[in-house]
Amino acid sequence: MSSISTPPTTDSTSHITSYPRFIGRSLWLATEGSFGFYAWMTMLTALFLVGANAWAHQVAGGMISTHMTDHVSWGLYIANFTFMVGLAAGGVMMVIPAYLYHDRKMHDVVIIGELLAVSAIVMCLMFVVADLGRPDRFWHLIPGLGKFNFPISMLTWDVIVLNGYLVLNLHICGYLLYMRFLGRQPNPVWYVPFVMLSIVWAISIHTVTAFLYCGLGGRPFWNTALLAPRFLASAFVSGPSFIIVTMVLMKKLTSVQGLEQPIATLTKIIRVTILINLLMVASELFTEFYTGGTHVSSAKYLFFGLHGKTALVPWTWTAIGLNITAACLFLWPGLLSPKFRLLLVAACLMAFVGTWIEKGMGLIIPGFIPSTLHEVVEYVPSMLEWKVSVGVWAFGLMVFTIAIKAALPTLRQPAQSTDT
Amino acid sequence: MVRLANLLFAGVVCAVISMVIVTVTTSDRRAPSHSERAHPHSGLASATTGVLANPATFPIVIRKPAGPPQIKLAGTDPQGRSASVACATCHSVRPPNFDNQTAQSLDEFHQGLQFNHGQLSCYSCHNPENADELRLADGTAVEYADVMTLCTQCHSKQAESFAHGAHGGMNGFWDLSRGPQTKNNCIDCHDPHAPNYPKMIVDFKPRDRFLDLQRAEHDNHK
Amino acid sequence: MTTINERPEAGNRELPIVENFSRRAAVKGGFATLGAAAFVAAISPLRHAAQNTSAAEFLQKHYTELSDEQKADVIARLEAETKKNYGAEVTIGDDRPIPGTKFVYAINLSVCNGNGKCVEACHKENNHDRATHQSYIRIVEMPKGTLDMEQGSTTYTGVVPKDDKFYLPVQCQQCDEPPCVDVCPVKATWKEEDGIVVVDYNWCIGCRYCEAACPYHARRFNWKKPEVPADQVNPDQSYLSNRIRPVGVVEKCTYCLHRTRRGRLPACLEACPTGARVFGNILDEDSNIRWILDNKRVYILKEELGTKPAFFYYFD
Repeated sequence: MSSISTPPTTDSTSHITSYPRFIGRSLWLATEGSFGFYAWMTMLTALFLVGANAWAHQVAGGMISTHMTDHVSWGLYIANFTFMVGLAAGGVMMVIPAYLYHDRKMHDVVIIGELLAVSAIVMCLMFVVADLGRPDRFWHLIPGLGKFNFPISMLTWDVIVLNGYLVLNLHICGYLLYMRFLGRQPNPVWYVPFVMLSIVWAISIHTVTAFLYCGLGGRPFWNTALLAPRFLASAFVSGPSFIIVTMVLMKKLTSVQGLEQPIATLTKIIRVTILINLLMVASELFTEFYTGGTHVSSAKYLFFGLHGKTALVPWTWTAIGLNITAACLFLWPGLLSPKFRLLLVAACLMAFVGTWIEKGMGLIIPGFIPSTLHEVVEYVPSMLEWKVSVGVWAFGLMVFTIAIKAALPTLRQPAQSTDT
Repeated sequence: MVRLANLLFAGVVCAVISMVIVTVTTSDRRAPSHSERAHPHSGLASATTGVLANPATFPIVIRKPAGPPQIKLAGTDPQGRSASVACATCHSVRPPNFDNQTAQSLDEFHQGLQFNHGQLSCYSCHNPENADELRLADGTAVEYADVMTLCTQCHSKQAESFAHGAHGGMNGFWDLSRGPQTKNNCIDCHDPHAPNYPKMIVDFKPRDRFLDLQRAEHDNHK
Repeated sequence: MTTINERPEAGNRELPIVENFSRRAAVKGGFATLGAAAFVAAISPLRHAAQNTSAAEFLQKHYTELSDEQKADVIARLEAETKKNYGAEVTIGDDRPIPGTKFVYAINLSVCNGNGKCVEACHKENNHDRATHQSYIRIVEMPKGTLDMEQGSTTYTGVVPKDDKFYLPVQCQQCDEPPCVDVCPVKATWKEEDGIVVVDYNWCIGCRYCEAACPYHARRFNWKKPEVPADQVNPDQSYLSNRIRPVGVVEKCTYCLHRTRRGRLPACLEACPTGARVFGNILDEDSNIRWILDNKRVYILKEELGTKPAFFYYFD
């Protein structure tokens, strides 16, 4: 890497030299910050290290240290993975207004959504790796090197769409930030088509992830056509909620301007999606419980417990409570007023946590309970699983923080230079 | 610009289509190679098919009782040896008592015999003329070793199933061109006097680490 | 993936944007080094895991792509590893399907009394982990008058059969449309010509998607290294069947292919004291199994899922 002193002139250097310099400069800037920033990053690093250590123990000693079983063969990792795919897809809720409805204000800050997508996908991939019994054989999954069961296995589709989405967003963000670094106006030809593609792609990643589950005939709880739409609806709750919280924090901590209107837009989006999500959950439950029969066992377990086993019941009702409260709050027009910023954040957090439970633990685990031979074996994550999951979250937040920091210059309204 | 965008889109679509085509063709190409791969082994295997076409080379062995039963005596001689006697030891000198219809009326030697086999009486199956033989319903004498012939009189369904491997179990080879098969005899599993299959006690259960009992132990693993 | 962690701080040495650049760079470099060191320390348990995986195993190709020589090498390596890790002399065969066979199983539910001898035989035959009593067979105790497994129980004990129950042993059904094979992302499991669905334990990545997809609870995951005392190891092994499985991979019933492809009967059948189990080649018109299909009213489990099992149940 050559020295990076000033933003280079646009014509003199080739991209081969200037692009690494751009990355270097971005990283340098991204690691500059206040004491609070360093404290935050140190905490995340510490958590990540705890997770990395736990994962290393898991790999060394076998997955016996998780509480997963042959009955409940996927647990916290895959629950988080599913949620993360949603978070990644949720970022598109900024892209659609910005590019399809030409919302100027949203357009100015749309990169937040794209960076969220990048960080969330990184977390997805880490959760998948954490869930593998043989991470050393990960290369078997690489098309060309290993043996790729495409197009029969939905998991191979997921590998393609997730990595594709990652590359797409890296390209879009990288291009926009790079042009800004060069001091050039971004040429729409080099990113608008990709943005359009990324909208479709965002829908596809969550649809494919839903197909992972709903294509399994042996698991009646998942085997419903409503799963993909439900996934999308809840993704469009969790993604925008996370972005609103991020924006509120950015308003407090940085000098980025023009966040008010995007916050309002996203709030209005959640107002609709959270209701759609609840509606879908309700119609799913109606079908299950009104029809009855053995197919309802999982839902029964989830909501009321089965054969005296009730581990998930408090979780589910918490999720329902959080989701309904959040929905009521979002329906209240006053929530948009800056006076009630804290309430908005609270509503977003409730919606976020509610969705996390509902489509993480609340969807993955009951799929396995009762098992295919109708044995009721419960699952509660082990300490190690929590550590690994927290580690992945910490790493994802670290990526997100650094990415946002690197993007701050493009977000800042007319030439300000104060830092966090 | 719009045109360029369209071009890009077309490029992506083409890439996807070509990916699909490549996958399909490679999987097509792989399929025959699979069967080719099977051929080296089929050298050995085709020899086997040849054998398969031939009549079976190994027998189905049905275990047989060694002969007439011996009755163990309760007491031992002064050297501590136990002894057993053949049926004929007593029955050759005693006339058959056709009044003995149930186990309850046996008050001398056989008392306490558990009998639960329909409406049969002793001489439905035992030969009154020769205590070391059995007797069919039509009066034909049958060796103890051929007891299955006797059972089959009533239990033809089971006999049919047995003949087709669907009753009684077996050991050894399914493929008789490679080895013999051993099958049980009726009385290996069924006591002729009380033929109901005995109750059993389950002694081996999968002790999965994840059942509630195991949770504590498994947590200690960490 | 984890190396990304270091990148933010790693590439910063020559960035002279801020005033006292060199000091900041030094501080950042220091922290980056510290972070990297802490990370290496955190994942140090991996070194232990790496010792158990040889380079040859890491680079081993998929079973169907191994040449005969490579197979011989792999098998020699596996036998040596078993000797080293378990202290047992074993022979690992490479049993291929017998042309003209398709294996099918049937169980007479009127006869089965749930005694569990098959479960035990499977456990021993297939070198399952001793501590967990692992086995490919589970028996569901069902109330008479229903086929709804919801009302069944697998944890029954004591004297069997109970008067108002019947017993339903379930193991891999060797489906003709196996959902587990479809979902495997790396083709580590496939259906062979004689109908057996096998797993290449050295190719499986342990994602457990097949466990989620199987409607019969037929698949098992090796949550830890199986423990089998040397004198209890069944030395008669096969690559795709009962060789001792590595940790972190999925395994399943193979109809004892190390026996059945050599003409012998499966271990669970031989162990059954009631004679409820029938095994054979459905392509052979004179086989026992064909007689049952022709003469008994058979049914299959979860027919509505379209998995087309090669495993039949019947009542007399």
